[in-house]
Amino acid sequence: MLIKASGITDVGLKRETNEDAFSIDDELHLYVVADGMGGHQAGEVASRIAVDLINSAFKKWLTTSAPEEELFGLPDESLSPEGNYLASSIRLANRVIHELATMGDKRQGMGTTVAALLIMPSKVIAANVGDSRIYLIREGTIERLSRDHTIVAEQIEMGIMTVEEANASSLKHILTRNLGSAEDVLPEVFELEPANRDRFVLCTDGLTDLVTDEEILDLTLKADEPESLCRNFVDLALERGAHDNTTVVSVFVTKENKKDGSLRRSAMALADIWNGVQRVFKKLKP
Amino acid sequence: MAKLVLMFNKQVLKEYPFDKESITIGRKQDNDICIDNLAVSGYHARIDKTGYQYILTDLQSTNGTFVNDKKISSHRLRHGDNIIIGKHVLLFVASEKERQEAEKEKEPEFNKTMMLDTEKQRELLAKQEAPVPTPKKPNKIGVLSFIDGSKLGEVELTKKLTRIGKSDNVEIKLKGLFMGSTAATISRRPSGYTITFTGGLSKLKVNGEVVKGSVPLKDFDTIELGSYKFQFYQKDSNR
Repeated sequence: MLIKASGITDVGLKRETNEDAFSIDDELHLYVVADGMGGHQAGEVASRIAVDLINSAFKKWLTTSAPEEELFGLPDESLSPEGNYLASSIRLANRVIHELATMGDKRQGMGTTVAALLIMPSKVIAANVGDSRIYLIREGTIERLSRDHTIVAEQIEMGIMTVEEANASSLKHILTRNLGSAEDVLPEVFELEPANRDRFVLCTDGLTDLVTDEEILDLTLKADEPESLCRNFVDLALERGAHDNTTVVSVFVTKENKKDGSLRRSAMALADIWNGVQRVFKKLKP
Repeated sequence: MAKLVLMFNKQVLKEYPFDKESITIGRKQDNDICIDNLAVSGYHARIDKTGYQYILTDLQSTNGTFVNDKKISSHRLRHGDNIIIGKHVLLFVASEKERQEAEKEKEPEFNKTMMLDTEKQRELLAKQEAPVPTPKKPNKIGVLSFIDGSKLGEVELTKKLTRIGKSDNVEIKLKGLFMGSTAATISRRPSGYTITFTGGLSKLKVNGEVVKGSVPLKDFDTIELGSYKFQFYQKDSNR
C-alpha cells in the first residue's frame, strides 16, 4: 500500500495569529488537524497540545499493543483496539487541555477541535470532536467520515432545521463538543476498510466555511498528488476572503497497481481454496 | 447579571436572575424556570450563556418557542426580547455591561467559533431524547437476518466495522470453498451502513446485483454471499 500525504496551514486574511495546528506521521500514517480557540495565544497552545499528545499517546499504545485497562477512559466495545487507542488519546488530550484551561491564568477557557485519521492496511479509522472535518473521496463520490458537533448540525440531524437554514444561521459556529471545556469528551469514531485510490481530506472550518463539499470533490478528482491539492484548497479560501485560519491535510492511497492487484487477488483466492481443500481432507482422514 | 421576567396576561409573575451557564424552561419541576401549564412541554427551551451572549434553543417542544412573535429553533437573545412559551411571556433583560458588549460583538464576530459549556447541554439532550421519538436520530442498530436456513439466525452489527468471511479473526464467520478470508465488510458511517466487497471468489450480491466496490445498505436489502443469503434491517437500539 502506497500512501502519500501533504498538509498546509494558512493564517488567512483577517486574523493576526494562526490558531490551527496539524501533523503528518508517514510511518504510522496518522494525520491530525486541530482548530484552537481562546484569547492571548491560548488557542494556539490548545491546538498544539492536542496534536502533540494525540500523536505521542497513540504511538505509545499502538507500538506496545497496550491492553484496554492501560488506556485513558473506558474502552468502546464497538471499536477495534486501534480505534480505542485513537479515541483514548483524544480523551487524554481533552483532560490535559481542560486542566490547563481551568487553572485561572491567561489560558482560562481555551479549547480546540480535532480531526484525526489513521490508515492501516486492513482499516481506516476517523475520529473527530468539534467542526473540523474528514472527507473520503471514493469512486467519484464524497462522503463525510466525521460528524460536526455544532448546534446547527445537531438540529439538522434531529430534523428540526434544514441545511439551508443552517448555512444562514448566525449560530453555525457554536460548538457543542470540543477539547477543553469539559472534564470528559466523547469523540466520534468511524472505522471502514480502505480501497484502492481512496483520497482523504482533513480540514478546519476555515476551508469548509468557504468551499462546498461538491467543490472539494471536484478539486480532489482533478488532483494528481496531495501537495498541489492542498495548495489549491488554500488558494480558493484566500480568493474568497479567508476570514479564518485555514488548514488542509490530504492523503492519497494507492493499494496496488491494476496488474499486480488482479494477480494477487487470484493468488489469495487460490490460497483460500487450497486451505479449504486441506481442511476437507483433514476431516475425511480417519 | 441578565434576568428573565416571567409574565402572564401582562402581569409580572416572577423574576429569575440568570446566575448559571445554562438554564432550562419547561413544565417539569426540575427546570430552572418551571411553568405549570399544559401548553408548555416538559423540557421546552434552554438558554445558554457564552461570553456576553445568550442563546435560546427550542427543545423540540410541542407548541414551539417564539421570540417577538416569530417561531425560532435557536436565537441569539437581545435586550428586550419577548420569549413566548404557551401563553406565558419571558422578557429578557440584559445587564448594562452585556448590552455594551453585545454592541461591540456585532456581525463580524459571528464568524468566530465559540464553545458552549457542554455538560449541561449533554444532560438536556439526553433527557430530551428519551420521551420524544425524534426522527432520524441515529439510535438504530443494523441487523443481519439469515434467511438461508443456516443456524446463524440474526446477527446485530454492534461494531463500527464488521468483517464477514471464513478467516478466524472476522466478526461473522461463514463457510464455503470459494468464500474469501474476509469476503465483505460492513461499516457504520455518518451516512449509515455501507457494505464493501473485499475478496474471494464468492460473489457479493445486493438485491440481486453483483457488488464489486461499496454500496450503502437500506432497510430490507437482500444480501447474497456464496450460498448464504441474508437481509439487512435496522432496529431501535436498547442501549
